[in-house]
Amino acid sequence: MASSKKYWQSVEELKGSSIVETLSKNEFVEEIPTDEFLGDKETLESSATSRRDFLKYVGFSTAAASLAACEGPVRKSIPYIIKPNDITVGVADWYATSMADGFDFANVLVKTREGRPILIMPNKEANGSTNARTQAAVLSLYDEQLRLKAPRKGTEAISWSTANTEIVAQLQALKESKETVVLITGTLASPSTEKVIADFTAAYPNIKHVAYDAVSASGALDAFEAFYGKRALPNYQFDKAAVIASIGADFLGDWQGGFEKSYSAGRKSENGNMSYHVQFESNYSITGANADKRVVLKPSDQVFALLNLYNAVTGANVPSKATPADATVKEVAAALVKAGSKGVVVTGLNDKNAQLIALAINDALQSIVLDTTATSNVRQGDDTAMAQVVADMKAGKVGGVITYNVDPLYTLANAADFVAGLEKVSLSVALSLQNDATANATTYALPTPHFLESWGDVQAIEGQFGLMQPTIKPLFDTRQFQDVLLQWSGSTATYYDVLKEFWNTTVLAGKSWNQALHDGFFTKKATATVRAKSVNMTSIAAALMSATKPSEFELDLFTSTALGDGKQANNPWLQELPDPLTRAAWDNYLTVSMADANAFGFDNPVQDNGAINGNYANVTVNGVTLKNIPVMVQPGQAKGSVGLALGYGRTHGLKETMQVGVNAYPFLIGGKNIQYGVTIEKAAGSHKFACTQVQKTIAGRHEILKVASLKDVLDTKLDPKHSWNKPTYVTYDHQEVEASTIDLWDDHNREVGHHFNLSIDLTSCTGCGACVVACHAENNVPVVGKHEVRVGRDMHWLRIDRYYSSEVATREEAVASGLSGGDLYEVLENAAENPTVAFQPMMCQHCNHAPCETVCPVAATSHGRQGQNQMAYNRCVGTRYCANNCPYRVRRFNWFNYANNNEFDFNMNNDYGKMVLNPDVVVRSRGVMEKCSMCIQMTQATILTAKKEGRKVAANEFETACTQACATGAMVFGDINNPEDDVAKLKEDKKAFHVLDAVGTKPNVVYQVKVVNTNNA
Amino acid sequence: MSTSKVIHAFYNDDDVLMDAVKQVRAANHHIEEVFCPFPVHGLDKAMGLAPTRLAITAFMYGVTGLGVAIWLTYYTMIADWPQDIGGKPNFSWWLNMPAFVPILFELTIFFAAHLMVITFYMRSKIWPFKKAENPDPRTTDDHFLMEIPVDGNEEELKALLASTGAVEINVVDNH
Amino acid sequence: MSSHYEAPIREPLVLGTKSYHDITEDIARPIEGSANRNWYIAFYISLAAMLWGFGCIFYTVGTGIGVWGLNKNIGWAWDITNFVWWVGIGHAGTLISAVLLLFRQKWRMAINRSAEAMTIFAVFQAGLFPIIHMGRPWNGYWVLPIPNQFGSLWVNFNSPLLWDVFAISTYLSVSLVFWWTGLLPDFAMIRDRAVKPFQKKIYSLLSFGWSGRAKDWQRFEEVSLVLAGLATPLVLSVHTIVSMDFATSINPGWHSTIFPPYFVAGAIFSGFAMVQTLLGIMRKVTNMEDYITRLHVEYMNIVIILTGGIVAVAYASEFFIAWYTGSPYENYTYMSVGAATGPYYWAFWSLIIFNILIPQLLWFKKIRRSFIMSFIISIAINIGMWFERFDIIAIVLSKGHLPSTWWRFEPTFVDVGIFIGTIGFFFVLFLLYARTFPVIAQAEVKTILKSSGAHYKKLRDENNEH
Repeated sequence: MASSKKYWQSVEELKGSSIVETLSKNEFVEEIPTDEFLGDKETLESSATSRRDFLKYVGFSTAAASLAACEGPVRKSIPYIIKPNDITVGVADWYATSMADGFDFANVLVKTREGRPILIMPNKEANGSTNARTQAAVLSLYDEQLRLKAPRKGTEAISWSTANTEIVAQLQALKESKETVVLITGTLASPSTEKVIADFTAAYPNIKHVAYDAVSASGALDAFEAFYGKRALPNYQFDKAAVIASIGADFLGDWQGGFEKSYSAGRKSENGNMSYHVQFESNYSITGANADKRVVLKPSDQVFALLNLYNAVTGANVPSKATPADATVKEVAAALVKAGSKGVVVTGLNDKNAQLIALAINDALQSIVLDTTATSNVRQGDDTAMAQVVADMKAGKVGGVITYNVDPLYTLANAADFVAGLEKVSLSVALSLQNDATANATTYALPTPHFLESWGDVQAIEGQFGLMQPTIKPLFDTRQFQDVLLQWSGSTATYYDVLKEFWNTTVLAGKSWNQALHDGFFTKKATATVRAKSVNMTSIAAALMSATKPSEFELDLFTSTALGDGKQANNPWLQELPDPLTRAAWDNYLTVSMADANAFGFDNPVQDNGAINGNYANVTVNGVTLKNIPVMVQPGQAKGSVGLALGYGRTHGLKETMQVGVNAYPFLIGGKNIQYGVTIEKAAGSHKFACTQVQKTIAGRHEILKVASLKDVLDTKLDPKHSWNKPTYVTYDHQEVEASTIDLWDDHNREVGHHFNLSIDLTSCTGCGACVVACHAENNVPVVGKHEVRVGRDMHWLRIDRYYSSEVATREEAVASGLSGGDLYEVLENAAENPTVAFQPMMCQHCNHAPCETVCPVAATSHGRQGQNQMAYNRCVGTRYCANNCPYRVRRFNWFNYANNNEFDFNMNNDYGKMVLNPDVVVRSRGVMEKCSMCIQMTQATILTAKKEGRKVAANEFETACTQACATGAMVFGDINNPEDDVAKLKEDKKAFHVLDAVGTKPNVVYQVKVVNTNNA
Repeated sequence: MSTSKVIHAFYNDDDVLMDAVKQVRAANHHIEEVFCPFPVHGLDKAMGLAPTRLAITAFMYGVTGLGVAIWLTYYTMIADWPQDIGGKPNFSWWLNMPAFVPILFELTIFFAAHLMVITFYMRSKIWPFKKAENPDPRTTDDHFLMEIPVDGNEEELKALLASTGAVEINVVDNH
Repeated sequence: MSSHYEAPIREPLVLGTKSYHDITEDIARPIEGSANRNWYIAFYISLAAMLWGFGCIFYTVGTGIGVWGLNKNIGWAWDITNFVWWVGIGHAGTLISAVLLLFRQKWRMAINRSAEAMTIFAVFQAGLFPIIHMGRPWNGYWVLPIPNQFGSLWVNFNSPLLWDVFAISTYLSVSLVFWWTGLLPDFAMIRDRAVKPFQKKIYSLLSFGWSGRAKDWQRFEEVSLVLAGLATPLVLSVHTIVSMDFATSINPGWHSTIFPPYFVAGAIFSGFAMVQTLLGIMRKVTNMEDYITRLHVEYMNIVIILTGGIVAVAYASEFFIAWYTGSPYENYTYMSVGAATGPYYWAFWSLIIFNILIPQLLWFKKIRRSFIMSFIISIAINIGMWFERFDIIAIVLSKGHLPSTWWRFEPTFVDVGIFIGTIGFFFVLFLLYARTFPVIAQAEVKTILKSSGAHYKKLRDENNEH
């Protein structure tokens, strides 16, 4: 590129023939010939590169460099070379499958986008329902922190093939030497798997299979077996019940689960038949919160109450003791007898005898609520058998241990014995989804896939089969438990073949496998016909009496709504899900009654930043002591009883931030959830709680959450608008009109097109929190961690407010009783010693006259034609004025960047966790406001589908994440401009009311008055 | 002015100046200019200066501002991109107007104030980097300067001015 | 001298035997002389505070609003408190120079220059907060009525926050122009005295080449009068509109129709208090004792009692209404039993003590005319007015409609740092001003020298010319 002209300065140069070469050499210049320039004068002069050229080079390279610098960050994305024909990019595929992780069982639909499962919803055709944990399970799939990724021997990685050969060899050896090998699994409830295990044990007769549940229902199973000759759990059809007497059974919460649907079906005031539910309990459970009458009883008294109830109902006279609640017990007995076969008694005491008494009462009542045919298989663990296993291991009588989907090192009260036992066995294998404590204690740790990556089947309820199918290629080097067993037992078949074959032969009875796979379930008439055996109740009662040791303090262990038995303790969605009652997240704690708290000097002071603190307690249960358990003063906790949630305090393999709470399993001695002879002492220090709600009561503002008695609601003579569902009235033109009807200006026409409304029935809402997690998953709501929740910065778009009742209900009553000034506030703001509880799901109310829209300076939030209050994230400048002006305080501000920020190291900060993000919803950046959008991405999708199919949107076709997840149908979403939609009727229902109607916001979320059945009370 | 000379008469008291101005004008002399360190009330009348019309311009500017504000609110909120904001009547400027009153008011003031001041600066030729034109630095301190063109009657003028109490009288070439 | 008659019972506004030239000398002295030690101490302290504040601002913008103590239920606290506080302070200046001009109050002349300077500097501080309190301040310009880049998405003229944008910017710019126009003759005076060429250059630039022709003066006075006429409703409108941020909202305690007049009164109250504070310092630092006299202080104190009284009455009526409605929502407004007994009782009572009780001392003439007492009381009022805004914002937001959303606020070091920073920034500006600007409108003072100067009054008495 040298200039064609050559200015020669010396004769040599002219003579020198170097020019031609230089030219040719430099014809295609590769790099800047700096050496030529930096060389001495001669070379410089003789250089073929003129100053201009040099500048050209420099210019070019600079430009190139800067261009390179401008290049954006590289995003790894591979287009489909050959597009899988069932995947259309941008369109979700739904698969029907089943969840069975040993604790939660459900028929579910899984939403996948571009091959990634991103959402779990109940399979309503299969009558399935999901709780918070089922909803969150999709995130556990991507939990690269806790999941076991590759086979391991000791600490070294090992290939599957070597692992298999080694293990098979050892199994053979043990078979020769006739040493027992124990196969410990959680509850499988999987017919095909049981067959596989049967084949396996056939191949190795020395293998003994033991089912073990971290939180067992052994008592109920044994009782049912003793009574009906079949080891299963009774099923309850609460929708058929007229009177429900529950003695310590949290059947809406941690008690096997899945009953909320039938329960709320039986509590519909509109058609008059609303069951009367009495709850005797010590902890405040969500079942107690939903009960019509809640009686606080410490566990020992619950036992006696059960016996008294038995006596009162059957007229028998088994030994018992008097309890403070005997009067109520008599009433309840009368009610039960009156209800006859429509009455039912359930008890949560994990004790064979107690369960037998309950069964006996139901038997006496001829209860049709108790279903002994379609029994439940969701708990199969046998505490005695497991205890025996541990004993044998410790005694060295066991040659090998194979665990699957259990973590006894974490969940066994006597985990130490198990560890000791492990040292004595020659072969120890853990087939595990998670890299948990057990997987690290055994010789071999073999990874199994998540249920979303697996084939399988479930028979949670007798006769109701569910199929499990993979929704994504296994993320890690995993093999299914069943495949492994097949291989070990020398079979060449894959589990898929076995499963299909098994179904075709024994389940489907000629029906199509593909259809069943498509539906995800198959229902058969349950065959089991069982009849009651005769049992001697007196001796049972006596045994029960002797087993019950009333003591000053009694411990009632339970599993929390969020974490359950702790299987998903590393799941940030669940950790951040506040407890329905205490509204505390990221913690478990000792719940103590107000009276005991005063005695010990426990309290929960509110800090200046709004967060609450608590004291610590050291608790001892026959010999076992746990130190520094945080204490939460729980209104409605039975005096002399304390509660503690299991499933927390897990450390092994968990992320630092998830290692919260204390492990309560050491207290679960003998699998008994009730422990007597508890000693408590106050410990030093103060604990930082993370509660999403600090105020306990509704402070006399009852128009926010209206409660009416069934009697009033059914009374046709009463005008609801002037009695139990009174709106705010104002005087206008000298006549009384509803405040919400007064308007300064002409309103917009909202008859055109769709207009969305959401109806929430406060009677049916049990407060289970499934909707909260569903909202998390659908809308990419960020997790902010314990500290941020503590200081009041949780990002939940949908929250469930909890209000305790106060000693004096209304301000009027308080004034009438002569209270004034500070005392007046005191009595209204503080919860009663034994309060009732009301839940209120609260999300953006999508007001037609939204105060938030008016105040936004940049018009970032405005009203949609379909009634939504819309948020334009990328227009928002973040003044937070909208949040201040929202009377419902549902707007959430991005205080920091919650994605790709190591300060918030949750699912949005790692590549696996990000796979759960919903591509239809943007991840918000810092500094912008966000809130419930009424799942506009879902409503739009519905509209577009209808459009594509050239039809109108069908009635009740619109759904949001929360309404889909709601098991009880408390939440109903739809288009009020379509009279066919249920919500259109619900909006006009006599129970319908708007929160804070006096403010004139004209919300599009309508609530239904909470109805309480006080007829029998 | 055909002349090339002016007389600069200095006074050090505003009252004396006022009398002087009156006398000089009584003697039918044209007063070219008076420089003062501070406003002397009535001086403009004494000198026979026409009253200023800045107030009127201010009013007109204010009306303009109001017009702009009306147009802006109408165009942005009603015409160009009407949005349903808190159910406000975006279909009618009139119904929505109460929400715009503050804007209407502020813009009115804004236009009136700023445009008037700019007019003032333009008319009086004062702006950044403009060179000052007062002939003597003392006129911003405590001296008043009366500038009278000389029309061959220099001595007579000097005498007259001296009699009015001028503390200093210079004849300078007009530039 | 009859043109300069003034009733002899009126106290002189300019003390000592001053001639026009003396005034020139006095005003020019601080500018031409060199600063004393106290000035430097004050300046460096303010500068340090300012830099600390800027540090906190950068931290906030770099990390997120989360570094403040705010939460999901309390979206504003110190940020908007400081904003309203500073705007309020920024009310005295224009009020003094505009309203008092319309009322022909001569005593304004000695103080209006500094009061206006204070106004402008205070509004600078105020303007800072709406910008940095945004989650994404780099997009702050979106509040200007310009269409966005993808189409004609405009601002929302229904929003009180947008009204603020217009009100504050109009107020700031008009005050600035008003102030500067008044400064021109004084800059000219400095310019014509200046000996150092650099100084001469600067001041001739600043003075826009003012020559002081009779015609210029005629227009000057006309413009001042009209500007005063425009600025008077403007100054009243600014805090009216600021108060609408709250009054037009739906929060119990904010949603109150008396806010506009009550906020304006409060603003004047705090503004005059701040003028007292500053002049108390300045008259000493720049030896302006002869121009800023007891009489000026007393006059200002009278305005303070008046506006303070209005504010007190407003509090009383707020409290009464809150109680009288019997509504469980009104029970918790910043002026209610709920506030007096609630977690923020200390803020409530500070407000009562600093804003209502202490100013009552000014009813006593001795205190009213005492420099030191006025100074102390003015400080108290500044504190009290800050608490007023904090109470209105934090207490009301801490007790929203739904009890489930009741929360509390605790400031972080960043909240505090930014506030201190603005105070530093304010004093930096004011101290620089005191050294480089004519702190008293000398041209105007000269016009009243004969009528209200002590010397001339004495002369008149001697040859009893009345």
